Amino acid sequence: MIQTGIAIDLGTSGFRVQALDLDSGAIIASAISTCHPLPGSNVIDHIHFTLEAGLETANSFVIQALNRLLEGLNIDLSRVVRTAVCGNPIQLSLFISQDIEDLAYAGSKKLESLGKSGVVRDACIIKAGIIKELILPEDSEIIIPPCVHMEVGADALAMIIKTGILERNETAIVTDFGTNAEMALFHNGVIYTGSTAAGPAIEGRHISCGTLAVPGAVSDIEPEGGRFRLTVLDERLLPEKGDLISLPEGETAEKCGSTPVTGITGTGVIALISEALENKLISIPQINSTDGLLKLTENVSFNRNDLMEAGKATGAIRTGHLTLCANAGISPDDIQTACLSGAAGTYLDVRKAQTLGLVPPLVKTVIQAGNTSLAMARDLVLQPEKTDEMSRLAEKLRDTYCMFSSSKIFNRVYLLEFSYWTEGMPLNLYRSFLKKYGLPDFNPGVSSPEIIRTVENQLGETGSTPVAVVDISCREELTPTGCTGCKACEIKCPQKAIHVGENQPPVVSVDLSACNGVSCKNCERVCPEKCFSLNGYFQKFAGQTACL
Amino acid sequence: MKLSDKMAYESYADMMFGTAIKPVTTKHGLVIGGGFVIPEIVPHPRPGSEKTLKTLMREFERANFDALERCVLVGHPAIVIENEHISQMTNNPDWGMEITIQTAKQIEEFKIKYGLKAAYRATIADIRRPDRVNLRDSEATAKVLESFEKCAEAADIISIESLGGKEIFDYSIIRNDITGILFSEAILGGRDMEWLWTRIVDIAERKKCIAGGDTDCARSNTAMFMAGGFISKDIPHTLAALTRAIGAARTLVAHECGATGPGKDCGYENPILKAITGMPMSMEGKSSACAHPDLCGNVIAAVCDLWSNEAVAYHNMFGGTTPAVFAEILGYDAAAMNSAVALGFQKEFQACLVNSDRYRGPHGFILSPDNAWHIGKAIVENSRSMYARSKAAAFKCAELLLGDPNLRITGYEKESLLGYLKVLESLPDEENDFIDLCMRKYKNVNGFKPDSYGLQ
Amino acid sequence: MKYSTDTSGIFTRFDMEIEVTRRSIRRISSDFALQAIADCVADGDEEKTEEAVKEALEQKDPLEIIHEGLIPGMNEVSRLWDEGVYFLPQVILSSDAMMAGIKLCEQKLGKPLKKKGKIITHTAEGDIHDIGQSIVNALLNADGFEVINLGTDVPIDVVVEACLAHKPIMLTGTALMTTTMSAFPKIAAKLKSMNFNIPFVCGGGAVNEEFVTGFDLGIWGKEASQAPAMAGDILEGAHWQELRSKWNG
Repeated sequence: MIQTGIAIDLGTSGFRVQALDLDSGAIIASAISTCHPLPGSNVIDHIHFTLEAGLETANSFVIQALNRLLEGLNIDLSRVVRTAVCGNPIQLSLFISQDIEDLAYAGSKKLESLGKSGVVRDACIIKAGIIKELILPEDSEIIIPPCVHMEVGADALAMIIKTGILERNETAIVTDFGTNAEMALFHNGVIYTGSTAAGPAIEGRHISCGTLAVPGAVSDIEPEGGRFRLTVLDERLLPEKGDLISLPEGETAEKCGSTPVTGITGTGVIALISEALENKLISIPQINSTDGLLKLTENVSFNRNDLMEAGKATGAIRTGHLTLCANAGISPDDIQTACLSGAAGTYLDVRKAQTLGLVPPLVKTVIQAGNTSLAMARDLVLQPEKTDEMSRLAEKLRDTYCMFSSSKIFNRVYLLEFSYWTEGMPLNLYRSFLKKYGLPDFNPGVSSPEIIRTVENQLGETGSTPVAVVDISCREELTPTGCTGCKACEIKCPQKAIHVGENQPPVVSVDLSACNGVSCKNCERVCPEKCFSLNGYFQKFAGQTACL
Repeated sequence: MKLSDKMAYESYADMMFGTAIKPVTTKHGLVIGGGFVIPEIVPHPRPGSEKTLKTLMREFERANFDALERCVLVGHPAIVIENEHISQMTNNPDWGMEITIQTAKQIEEFKIKYGLKAAYRATIADIRRPDRVNLRDSEATAKVLESFEKCAEAADIISIESLGGKEIFDYSIIRNDITGILFSEAILGGRDMEWLWTRIVDIAERKKCIAGGDTDCARSNTAMFMAGGFISKDIPHTLAALTRAIGAARTLVAHECGATGPGKDCGYENPILKAITGMPMSMEGKSSACAHPDLCGNVIAAVCDLWSNEAVAYHNMFGGTTPAVFAEILGYDAAAMNSAVALGFQKEFQACLVNSDRYRGPHGFILSPDNAWHIGKAIVENSRSMYARSKAAAFKCAELLLGDPNLRITGYEKESLLGYLKVLESLPDEENDFIDLCMRKYKNVNGFKPDSYGLQ
Repeated sequence: MKYSTDTSGIFTRFDMEIEVTRRSIRRISSDFALQAIADCVADGDEEKTEEAVKEALEQKDPLEIIHEGLIPGMNEVSRLWDEGVYFLPQVILSSDAMMAGIKLCEQKLGKPLKKKGKIITHTAEGDIHDIGQSIVNALLNADGFEVINLGTDVPIDVVVEACLAHKPIMLTGTALMTTTMSAFPKIAAKLKSMNFNIPFVCGGGAVNEEFVTGFDLGIWGKEASQAPAMAGDILEGAHWQELRSKWNG
């Protein structure tokens, strides 16, 4: 009988699952989700949700979503003997129902008062049966890899191992381009790590026309004979040749492609800013058009505020790079190889990223590595002994890990980035401040590095079977006592996730995956009857497992 | 078309407000440029009034009546009424015609009743958007020409603010690109005007109407407004000044095609045109603050023949409706200038106007009569091509700006100016080479159609 | 034609004036030592400011040094920042330099300088992201307020006790992590229950306007740079509700 292994990547913006034949190592099936089941858009939102709704509820959300993906694989799950899960510390903790309160706060005083300081997340192997509701064979084993620190988890270890920088005998930096940008600098045999809250702009959020990778999202912009060619994601989320437009007017010169443009992704934003800078359509923080907009279409446009948001996000990444370099005693100019991972890292145009300072200026090689977390999980399923390698690496990294938020260097450099992107401080002044602070200087510019794409798409290998895209969004209905059907909550919801029915008493439904998270709660605040409770929806959803 | 190679005025000292070497006389006997400055009032209809021909006619009837009546009320002896077509009036040539006929009747009535001398200028809207339609062959083009035909029947003067080259100009101005500005003005604007104005002059001659003139409004005024005042810095004032000098060589084409003046009010390049052609010009400055601010409110009046308010939306003020109020203001401005003439103080009065703004900024400086004349001279001395004369105008303008120590320009303005000069110096000598270069550089600009200009 | 070379009565070239004053700080004193101090502050050079102040203290009254050297120098920096010539990192360096100089003068005076008003700043319990708070501190110092900096990861009770002890005119809180922002309404509620109704300006990446205006005393601080103007309004007698209606909504 064929034995099957399951590799799981629990990402902040979505889950990815693959089934492998343990004998041949071949990929049998893949399934992905286009969103994370928990409300909110970043790890802090997920933690915040867990603190409010309870660990059990959060765990239930994650497992129910995962179950749908496992079913989406369309294989005989009874043959599964081993599973490996990779992801950041929060996702892994939610998966195994481990307390996450220590991850919720960065301040040591608060952690001590909670009795939660110094929590270590080592690797472990558990039986699937101990995870409630999970539809894998009870006796099959699940490998949980270790974390370095609350901010740097198994996904970061995967990134370091799977990009192969440790084997290249040169100074290299790896960056995961996501809301939480984990990064590692390898120099003279030492690995320096850190993680910066680049913010949601890097994934297209907090940008007026920004969006995650959805059909109709602009993912790239290329100059083409004085105009600009859009790349638009089609219905299957594959990049498709889009319209030829003029900037900044956004007039279509040539129709192309079938997907109407609905917004712009993080990589699209990077491409747009980079092209606009090169064509002098932007002088930071100004947009040099008569109406102050860069229009992609009549309805999709990029404004000054978007530019500042995106700038702050990219600035946080350059700040992280500079901080690690300062710790290693080198300049970003000394970095020879840059590896980009994560979805954004896979699709990013290197030249454009370099224009914005996201890739060190003088690198000779750039490796676009795709989803290293899923690749690591595949390795662990096939070779469980690799867990030890990860643990040894994790141990080593704990000494050279840099907590950016308490790093004086990071704070100083970030202030320079902030001023550069929001006040238009000139780069030469920025650099003179680096000198004043005794920090490494860098040469702004674009090299022409050799680009190695190790994967075709962000999943990496997918085997011969197609990828199932599974809807894991959770919708829940309630009839709140005292609700008058005034629709204040529906109107005020920034995500348009609430729908109030017309009947009396009204049925109010909430799309929980679209929900902005418990840090928003506009719905509860605006309710004149104070009868709307988001938590009620969470509890109801978590309570009904039977329907799956 | 022969490019001008002589100056009508031998010296800038001869240029004076109210008098042109070649005055023109309207159907009703009003002489423009014949010794007196005459106000030119431009009322603008309120939004909403364009819904039907009836409501629009009523709006213009009131506005034009109010202006005429106020002239009688305060004793202004003469006035020109200009109606700038809103797009509906040109899109429906009969609308423009009906309003023209109506106004001509009003003017006739005031002449009979009070002896007020008045004239009507119909300015057709250039509805040919260069990025949307072929300038020479489109429905919009046909409508424009038809409107000229129909309005010329009853109007005294016909004019237009033509848009040729606007697509390349808009692209270039936000990129601070002097090459593109030169291309849009000298090559594109110039060619479009030659094509268009030959036709307008033909219509005017057939209909016994005055072909007034054009303006570089769509380009030079855009630049001037973007440069703004003393605290704006979207583009340098020096770039706006260069654009004006280049634009003068373009607007001149109307007169080379046979237009006799009076030039259009918003053409701030008109002092240069007057120096070259000797024809009467309409100008606007301080009394057009209702439409936009400028840094040359008095100096621009130094050699004007008509004195205009640019455009004012029709509505009530304490002192009456806006056309009445502005007709009164413009008339008194003109009366002061005419008093100076009557007393023989015109040179002194002109000196006051010039000194008010000569050193206020680059625009006021280059439009002072002496400097305007020098730019005009550079234009006529380089008559071998549109390109050569436009570039010469730019060089002369820059030379003047840098040559008078009393004109202070900020470091930023000066640095930018030296940068533009460097670019201009790097351009080829011959027009054909310049066109080749620009066709390569701008061929993909949105909406640019070379055949609109008879290129390739 | 005559051209008048003196145009001063005809027009004012504000563009030239703006450019001249843009290049560097205006002359603030005819006294060499005081001007030198102001220049050091404008350069953001803490060490040189201290040296210049020490030297000046041998001859001059500390209050004179503060009011006619250090503060005017800082005011010039603030003006240049407003005009887009200086940038935030420079303002912070200058603020630090001025504070170092004031400290030396205070030592000589033997008592602290009387400031415009006391303001307590802190970063929420559990949070250590304090870039926003450091900017607020520097700008408030620069504007002459006394800043009591409680630092980062400050427990609710410590904030409340500090308010009772110092009686500030304003309290600020910064939070980047949404998990930590729940401390703010708790602090506000405690202050309110003790009838200590001071404006509580909350800012940082985690909080938004709806959240902060959802509890009494809360005023949302969109940008760190707004802090001095808000504090200025309080000095003019603005109550927390007035502050909220002016700066929020």
